[in-house]
Amino acid sequence: MIDAIKLEWLKIRNYRVFWILLGMYLLALTIIAAGGVFFLEWLKSLGADFNGIDPTIVPIYDFPDIWQNMTYLGSFVKILLAFVVIISVNNDITYNTLRQNIVDGISKKKYLLSKLIFIIVLAGISTLFLFFTGMITGTIYSHVWEARFIFDELEFLGAYFFDIIVYCSLAFLLSLIIKKAGFVIVVLFLYTMMFEPVASAILTNAPYFRDSFWSGLVAFFPIQSLNNLITVPFGRYVFMEIQDNIPLKTIAIASGWLVFYLTMIITILSKRDLK
Amino acid sequence: MATTLTINNLTKKFGRLTAVNKLSLTIESGQIFGILGPNGSGKTTTLGMILDVVAPTDGHYSWFNNTPNEEARKKIGSILESPCFYPYLTAVQNLKITAHIKQCGTSNIEEVLKQVNLYERRNDKFKTYSLGMKQRLSIASALLSNPPVLILDEPTNGLDPEGIAEVRDLITRVAQQGKTIIMASHLLDEVQKVCTHFCVLRKGVKIHEGLVKETLEELNKVEISADFDQDQLTNILYDFAGTEEIKANGNGALLVTLKPGFTSHEINSHCFANHVTLKRLLTQTNTLEKEFLKILKEHD
Repeated sequence: MIDAIKLEWLKIRNYRVFWILLGMYLLALTIIAAGGVFFLEWLKSLGADFNGIDPTIVPIYDFPDIWQNMTYLGSFVKILLAFVVIISVNNDITYNTLRQNIVDGISKKKYLLSKLIFIIVLAGISTLFLFFTGMITGTIYSHVWEARFIFDELEFLGAYFFDIIVYCSLAFLLSLIIKKAGFVIVVLFLYTMMFEPVASAILTNAPYFRDSFWSGLVAFFPIQSLNNLITVPFGRYVFMEIQDNIPLKTIAIASGWLVFYLTMIITILSKRDLK
Repeated sequence: MATTLTINNLTKKFGRLTAVNKLSLTIESGQIFGILGPNGSGKTTTLGMILDVVAPTDGHYSWFNNTPNEEARKKIGSILESPCFYPYLTAVQNLKITAHIKQCGTSNIEEVLKQVNLYERRNDKFKTYSLGMKQRLSIASALLSNPPVLILDEPTNGLDPEGIAEVRDLITRVAQQGKTIIMASHLLDEVQKVCTHFCVLRKGVKIHEGLVKETLEELNKVEISADFDQDQLTNILYDFAGTEEIKANGNGALLVTLKPGFTSHEINSHCFANHVTLKRLLTQTNTLEKEFLKILKEHD
């Protein structure tokens, strides 16, 4: 276990691209998760108001709502973290070091373990980072400051952690299938940001599909099922009902995808000849 | 003698192509075993299978009398066709990864880098190295854990003459330490110079296996020329009890095949006794190349 972590650590410790990407990710996470006040002030300067309410007094950073708000926003930039995984896996394929590692004496199982731990550690760093950013931002802006509010709804951080793990496993799988880092990044980006959202939008809204069996499938899509873990929280500020917990059904669907990705990864790794 | 590697009916099919077909081999410790064959005969695929990077379609192999493969590989230094390292890491950083995988500690790193003349460049990134230096780093990496077995796949591919000499020197040095070396090559000269045992693969099938020394001794031919009438010389030579066959080889010389047990020394005395002074007396040694081509022809 420790061996597997150290193997990955030796590979990335002096790899500048990794640290730059990770830094960019954490920066993007800070901006998108903690920069809401500036966004609201910008809205105000445009003259916007929510049913007569000044946008800047919208309590987006009040505990415990802050956790759902921040994890919802934070999950938008998880694709940057997936890029880190893609580059790490594709390096081993492009440089043929996966083969070299195995020839030198690790099993494919251990290689897989080292990459999975890598993903878990990345997700852990990201979640902890978001937790501390939330604590700081909440300390500055929250109107309530009591432990029972602060530590309520922390399950959203758990969902966020899980979301990243599943998404990065998808990135891992695609890297093994496609083998070219640049191409994997384009495919993952287009699929996450365009293909699936457009397909989902058509199935949910087009009159022909809207009320049919097909619209029910959307919840089972790989990206949509992750998005459903933490749903849009901002409706609560215009007095709409929102989903403020994590539905078990979504967890089950996302877990299903995770199992599928891992099975595929194991199959590919054990069947493929490395030349 | 301890058995290093046993291969049993190993087979690999790529779709309809059978790259390796029911290959069985036993390699004892201390042997320097050359796997010969034309390009595409299955040499690299075989090495890939015994190193667990190519999954066999059928058959099995075992290292050191059934040591688990993963553990066995830690005791094998491999130099495969192209050097594979992380280009963004330095030689030392790359070898630290190897040392970590082989669980052999990092204390040897400076030593092996000195051995392959890379010590001065140890803190430069791998991507700045020339092909020869890259190749030498893979030698360093193979020697790092001081393994009892070395596997070399076309070890001199892409090297300049100096590099080739270095690799050969290395192989001989390592062999003197009593290590086992398994080496795939299509360069026969190379195998002839360093190997003790060899086998020949053709289209994935083992068509020959033997000792290098025996194969080279089989031939007993002497090339002879003298300032003398060729027909008379031929007659004199036929009088010699050890002559099996005589052929003119075109450039005024005669090629005499000797019967087993006779030497060039005796033929020289015979000629001298018959008042012929030989201008040239050359014992021809067999080359693996001739033997190899003969073996391939026999199986056409």
